[in-house]
Amino acid sequence: MKTKKMKDNRLSRIILHNVGLGILAFIWLVPIIWLLCTSFSAGSGMNTSTFFPKEWSIKYYIKLFQPDTVSQFPQWFINTFVVACATCLISTMFVLMVAYATSIMRFPMRKPLMNMAVILNLFPGMLAMIAVYFVLKTFSLTNSYAGLIMVYSASSGLGYLIAKGFFDTVPRALCEAARIDGCSEARIFFQMVIPMSRPIVVYTVISSFLVPWMDFVYAKMILNAGVSAKFTVAIGLYKMLDKMLINDYFTQFCAGGVLVSIPISILFMIMQKFYVEGITGGAVKG
Amino acid sequence: MANQKKGTAMAAVGDFFKVIGGFFSSFGTAVAKGDLFVKLSLLWWGAGYVRRKQYIKALIMTALEAAVILFTIFFAMDYVPKFGSLGTIKAEKVFNPQTMKSEFNDYDHSFMILLFSLFSFVVWFTAIIVWIKNTINVYKLQLMEKQGEHINTFKEDLKTYIGEKFHITLLTLPVLGVIVFTLIPILLLIFVAFTNYDQQHTPPTELFTWVGFKNFVALFGGGGLTSTFGYSFIRVLAWTLVWALFSTFTTYIGGILLSLMLNSTKTRAPKFWRTLFVITIAVPQFVSLLLVRNFFADSGIVNTICANIGLTGFLRDAGMISTSYIPFLSAPGWAHVMIIIINIWIGVPYQMLIATGVLMNIPADQLESARVDGAKPFQIFVKITMPYMLFITGPALVTDFVKNINNFNVIYLLTQDVYTTTNQALANSQAKEVDLLVTWLFRLTQDYYNYKMASVIGIVVFVICAVFTLVAFNFMIQGDKEGTYQ
Repeated sequence: MKTKKMKDNRLSRIILHNVGLGILAFIWLVPIIWLLCTSFSAGSGMNTSTFFPKEWSIKYYIKLFQPDTVSQFPQWFINTFVVACATCLISTMFVLMVAYATSIMRFPMRKPLMNMAVILNLFPGMLAMIAVYFVLKTFSLTNSYAGLIMVYSASSGLGYLIAKGFFDTVPRALCEAARIDGCSEARIFFQMVIPMSRPIVVYTVISSFLVPWMDFVYAKMILNAGVSAKFTVAIGLYKMLDKMLINDYFTQFCAGGVLVSIPISILFMIMQKFYVEGITGGAVKG
Repeated sequence: MANQKKGTAMAAVGDFFKVIGGFFSSFGTAVAKGDLFVKLSLLWWGAGYVRRKQYIKALIMTALEAAVILFTIFFAMDYVPKFGSLGTIKAEKVFNPQTMKSEFNDYDHSFMILLFSLFSFVVWFTAIIVWIKNTINVYKLQLMEKQGEHINTFKEDLKTYIGEKFHITLLTLPVLGVIVFTLIPILLLIFVAFTNYDQQHTPPTELFTWVGFKNFVALFGGGGLTSTFGYSFIRVLAWTLVWALFSTFTTYIGGILLSLMLNSTKTRAPKFWRTLFVITIAVPQFVSLLLVRNFFADSGIVNTICANIGLTGFLRDAGMISTSYIPFLSAPGWAHVMIIIINIWIGVPYQMLIATGVLMNIPADQLESARVDGAKPFQIFVKITMPYMLFITGPALVTDFVKNINNFNVIYLLTQDVYTTTNQALANSQAKEVDLLVTWLFRLTQDYYNYKMASVIGIVVFVICAVFTLVAFNFMIQGDKEGTYQ
């Protein structure tokens, strides 16, 4: 009798617990659901009277691929993709190189360099970016791929700490053994440490690929000419919400938002798994 | 991570000077004890290498020296001499009788002078280091020759760059990138903070010049009766700190609680629930935040619902609002609270991910023995889980706080174009009640071209972050508890 009651008690607590999670998850997802619903609306502006659109259609998804003066989604997508690929390549190289040098190798300037990085990270990135804008303007690199790529990847070496935390967990004895066998540092780096560190390499690749997709402010500073064809997705979608345009483009904004979010979310899901591994690997063994 | 951060405070400074000191003392020995060619290479960088038959190296060093000299004569000399005044000749249109057109005179561009002078300083600084290093190397070669050691050929020298000098190969490009795209820009804007570079003094049509600490005085309350920068600064700074404190701790605690809930044995299908929460942060912030901003707009969907269920009317009767809508993001007070709540929405899943990773590593036997001893879940949370979390994520908490002081996206995307201030004093200095120091800085540069004040604010932000970080780390390191959980 008593055990049954306890079982009941436990069952009801499990149900309560999961219902609680459900409610939380629902609150967390309401805006996302609204985004999805609105993107399938038949009206162009913001629907302010009901949560769900009155009429459903995929009109604005199709419109997204019919560029006009304001909306050039396919072009924005290509722009962002090109910038993202280049950034990904350069940043990944920089981050892994710095992480390896500071983690596995020992040289006199190691500590001072790392401390410099800590100090530089305390400056607001925005401050440097204002000046970078002037420098790029001097060489007329604003409103161009090259400028954006430089902005995103040139200083990426400063974000090496997570990768370093991971490299720190690579057994020192292995590297020592390789060195004694006459292996050059370059070979240890490329043929031993990198293959062993798959999670952190994947994490670095994805996270640096995502930077141009997620970034808003730097792109806004660099792409200031107002030429729609040169925008990245973030700037383009932001411009759609201009006070003059919002009534005509809000649904398109939502549709565009959904379309960018899908690939990014998938990449993000893959990345977060490695992120947790990298963070904890670094924190526990640091 | 905790171990490395330990070095940041005093030890770092000590290390730094040790390295510098060692560098100069070996330079001294090299100059004093070097032979004729070592001394000659103080003037001609390649000399020592020629003597030791390293001709290619000699060639490279000579070319480098020539490049520095040419740079100095043909480039730096155009700008550096004007550094003291930042230019004196204003841009004017002058009629040129030869072409029969009005043309610009050969004017001074203050910003170019500042930028390229700074660039020259960096080049010269690097050149001096190379020069010293070069002398040391040449002296080393002399010693090696004296002891009959093998002197590397050029090919062997190259090989060391994938061997014991591999770190130089690895670090050159990233460090160069950081110098050009972070260090020089920051130095540049530190200089700008001491000039009067603003909308009235914008090159190329106008010149700007040094003004000393005037801008700092203006920010800290001086600067005459019409200047409201002092007032705005206090207001914005207060909100920045309140925001950083609340946003850091709400998301931190929320993340831990959520991750405890998700990882509880009572949860069915934890992966599914986790995915639902992660979706929120997987959507790019400019989409989700811009959306939420319209969600809570004055004429937005939430306001419609609130009006329909009578909440708006109720609040008006209670005297909390005076408008026909709830000004979620458009009135002070409301906007402040909403921003923090929306930040919880966007920040908690992130902290949950981190907390999940850390919580998995809590020594299971500790939890088990606590349970056996009859500890309540709440007691376990306060006595075991939280201290453990704080120990592991303490440094991350500090960096989070600093990141939140500089959290541009949330504030800018939620309030730009939506929030207009009614406070005249704030409006005079282009600030708003909901501004963080960084968003204020951004608006000053982007919309009002007030670079001098923006730079001063930037420096202040840095000082705040630096002081906070140092104090926090020193405090954390004081109670040396490293062995506790190992």
